[in-house]
Amino acid sequence: MKAISKSVPKRDHAAKISGSAVYVGDHPTDDLLFGRMLRSTKARARVLGVKLPVLPEGYFFIDKNDVPGDNEVHIILDDNPVFVEEIAEHIGDVIGVLAGTDEREVNILLKQIEVDYEELEPVFDPRKSDVAFFDFGYEKGDAEKAFAEADKIYEEDFETGLQEHMYLETNGIIAEFKDGKMYVRGSLQCPYFVHRAVMKATGLSSENVSVTQDVIGGAFGGKEDFPSILGCQVAVAAYKTKKPVRVVFDRHEDIEGTSKRHPSFCNYKAAVKDGQVTALEIDVLYDAGAYATMSMVVLQRGIIGCGGVYNVPNLKVRGQARKTNTVPNGAFRGFGGPQVFFAIEMLMTHIAKDLQMDSVDFKLKHVAKHNDLTSTSGRFHFPVPIPAMVKDITEASGYYSKKEAYKNQSGRFRRGIGLAAVYHGAGFTGNGERDLIKAVVQLRKDRDDNVEILTAITEMGQGVNTAFIKIVAQELGLPPERVILVPPDTARVPDSGPTVASRSVMTVGELLRRAAIRLKAEWRDGEEQLIEEHYKHPEYMIPFEMPAFRGDAYPTYSWAVNAVEVEIDTYTGFIDILGAWGSFDAGTPIDENIVIGQMEGGFLQSIGYAMMEKMTADKGYIRNNNFSDYIIPTAVDVPNMQVKLHVEDFPLGPYGAKGAGELPHVGGAPAVAEAIQNALGVNLHKIPFLAEDVMDVLRRKGGI
Amino acid sequence: MVKGIIAKSLRDALELRKDSTFVPYIGGTDLMVEADENKSYLFLHQVPEMKNIAEDEEFIRFGAACTFTEIIKNPLSPMILKQACRQIGAPAVRNMGSIGGNIGNGSAKADSALICMVTDSKLRLASADSERIVPIKDFYLGRKKLNLNPDELIIEILMPKHGLENYYHEKVGARKALAISRVSFAGIMDIKNGVIQNNATAFGAVSDVIIRLDTIDNMLIGKTIEEAKKLRGDYIQAIGDAIVPTRGRVGIEYRKDVCINLLKSFLEVSGI
Ligand SMILES: Cc1cc2nc3c(=O)[nH]c(=O)nc-3n(C[C@H](O)[C@H](O)[C@H](O)COP(=O)(O)OP(=O)(O)OC[C@H]3O[C@@H](n4cnc5c(N)ncnc54)[C@H](O)[C@@H]3O)c2cc1C
Repeated sequence: MKAISKSVPKRDHAAKISGSAVYVGDHPTDDLLFGRMLRSTKARARVLGVKLPVLPEGYFFIDKNDVPGDNEVHIILDDNPVFVEEIAEHIGDVIGVLAGTDEREVNILLKQIEVDYEELEPVFDPRKSDVAFFDFGYEKGDAEKAFAEADKIYEEDFETGLQEHMYLETNGIIAEFKDGKMYVRGSLQCPYFVHRAVMKATGLSSENVSVTQDVIGGAFGGKEDFPSILGCQVAVAAYKTKKPVRVVFDRHEDIEGTSKRHPSFCNYKAAVKDGQVTALEIDVLYDAGAYATMSMVVLQRGIIGCGGVYNVPNLKVRGQARKTNTVPNGAFRGFGGPQVFFAIEMLMTHIAKDLQMDSVDFKLKHVAKHNDLTSTSGRFHFPVPIPAMVKDITEASGYYSKKEAYKNQSGRFRRGIGLAAVYHGAGFTGNGERDLIKAVVQLRKDRDDNVEILTAITEMGQGVNTAFIKIVAQELGLPPERVILVPPDTARVPDSGPTVASRSVMTVGELLRRAAIRLKAEWRDGEEQLIEEHYKHPEYMIPFEMPAFRGDAYPTYSWAVNAVEVEIDTYTGFIDILGAWGSFDAGTPIDENIVIGQMEGGFLQSIGYAMMEKMTADKGYIRNNNFSDYIIPTAVDVPNMQVKLHVEDFPLGPYGAKGAGELPHVGGAPAVAEAIQNALGVNLHKIPFLAEDVMDVLRRKGGI
Repeated sequence: MVKGIIAKSLRDALELRKDSTFVPYIGGTDLMVEADENKSYLFLHQVPEMKNIAEDEEFIRFGAACTFTEIIKNPLSPMILKQACRQIGAPAVRNMGSIGGNIGNGSAKADSALICMVTDSKLRLASADSERIVPIKDFYLGRKKLNLNPDELIIEILMPKHGLENYYHEKVGARKALAISRVSFAGIMDIKNGVIQNNATAFGAVSDVIIRLDTIDNMLIGKTIEEAKKLRGDYIQAIGDAIVPTRGRVGIEYRKDVCINLLKSFLEVSGI
């Protein structure tokens, strides 16, 4: 283990544990207006009119007519309006904000508002939607030929469901318009996303908008795109009322009104020749919800990863994100990857079973190797450690002997074990870093020789501040206490890009390392100094061409092998997780405890995604909008989780670090699903797979 | 504004209860989930007469304000009740939540109420000027409908103390802790000299109220094991026909299947 990996207490720890950390809901409320959203109760309807009760002094209603700039939230296609322009596109679509001095009074008045709708026909099933926000496709090799020459062709459909982030702290924003400037703060991952969105909605120039991050109580991607929407709404309210306005959601509103993981419907066709998969034809469909928001990039990651960790020479891929009249789906840890990795991993196990091979052996026969072509005809420029990790995990979990032992079982409880091998492309897809983000970081040294880190990256519990401080302190040879890092404010920090895509340590951390090296070289005691560092695109990368999807989609890959063992109660359908083993390669951990914590948490989230977390929208209305109806796993549910780190250094990451945050949320689900299928002796095609689904299988099979 | 009065004695509590605008409140673990600022609460957690656990010839008597933690710790508590209480919520909920509140909330998912049902416990209900004892089965009238007058409180639960040794209990939740029952089942089989003295079952989270089909259960009472085995099929069939799950978040077919599976399992471990 490198010195840098040695764990230290997290920088944000003490404040959070002691309760002194200030979240957006903790700011003094004396001079504040409380805002509540007026939301559409119809899944699709023309808003003909809004009838307000008489508003007392100090109470305001803000809607589309009050937007000083464009009534558009700047997220890729800018199609999400700040406030409904004419047609409400989903239940919960925001028609306006009611703001006033007394929170209770605002709630009472809100209930008295009458909205006149003309109902329109909504669409809830993306398979029946004829609006594709995005429709991509690419090919590699000659899939047609491979199918023509195949010994056998397999075709299967896979489905995955919604997943809710369930961060503990709900979304919340405060905005204030003062002296011609808009100040926005709150629980947000990407200050500059919000900054640009607020500029567009208010028509204010960049200097006149400042966005500050408050302490964040969890995000998982749920505060990546969404705060741009809420930020614009609250900023417009502050603009109109000339008072600070705060909107903090309660749990119901947060669940009903904010983004989730895209449900997916995938069709996979595989050509097999001489026991080898020679071609895949894949059709990916993501349910985008009512507006496009982040779906483009989520979908891109999905279709790039849909062939899994395997070297399949011939590919034909199509991917669409279609519109439905449901709350827009957005970023969520894994970002389009978990859906397709579930599908490909299941498909591989099904083919293996049909060929009477063990699924792990079958997968290993196909795993890509160093320098092989990727799905998009880029290269795996660095070693692919999957075989070694599989070895580790099969040994740690007792995979082979368990698989053998579970072939013949009787009695009430049936066991199964599954193993999945996955990757997560580290950092932004394609040329995003080079062409769009162009990250900048600064180090500022004051006269006392303390060094402040200036980036737009946000700490949301994942440990990035601690990692940044360690990197800078190590290079400068300073004690960490001398390194200052406060939550970013766009008025003070350069745009180092959003805190997403598992890019922060790998990309921004490396910029900081280089800045620190320069600062050290130029160090002058007792003087103020400012060092700025800019992103440089890795030279070895094969340029990524769009819309052809050709070239290196990612500078490198993080890898994971996960095994899960289950015990299923055939009387109740209850799925008990007996053990979960994970080997994760996120490069050098900048802090071992932090990375292990990320791996454990993400792994658990991925297990929940497969067998516990079920969110259903009933005609566009999400009923399980609280913690007692939307069940997520607790530590008690997976007491035996063993996580280890496998390190393949990435030469361009700081000390060899690469993307960590999302990696653990990819492979847990297919491992669980294979374990369940192993226990029940049936093939699985959908997650979440719950106790009811177990009982359905047993009913259909007439017992087991 | 929230108003609240802390009752310090039973007499105090019952006097205050005459004003039916006060909502009885023990641990608040149900009430505070949907806290209503416009309501007034009558706090009962410090009423000494409602905090006792004692026994007499026939019953173990639990004060309604006894928390689950107190019940679990008390040596008088029967194992079947302890087992059910241990699976309630998380430690904090067990420390605050009470058996009286569990019954008072009227839910068919209430885990300690299931045990009161299967044991045919009785409830002592009191108002300032009267008192009555009601078998718990007659206390539940329908979905959230209780046989409780506006001026009455649940004071005590009287759980029969004999014949509870051979019990069966399973709670099926969506996860291992902090889970509301999706189906729950409790059974008691008391066999002496090869003859069934008592057979009682209760099914929770299936219908508007906890299901206690005593007339069907009685089919097996007085029978030998061999006789009971012969009746097994008819018995399961009769219970199955009588269980009609209400619509809910958890599928109807699922809950019915699980009820029957657990009933079969109960019979199996009882040797039938
Ligand atoms: C996180 C969480 C987890 C939970 N898990 C479980 C679980 O696993 N299993 C389970 O069964 N329950 C569970 N519950 C529900 C709750 O904890 C139990 O129902 C508990 O028994 C309620 O007791 P209490 O004293 O807190 O009731 P309170 O909230 O004080 O009262 C509950 C109801 O009973 C009425 N009431 C109270 N006292 C009397 C009285 N003396 N006479 C008449 N009516 C009265 C009240 O007016 C109210 O309607 C959970 C709750 C939470 C918040």
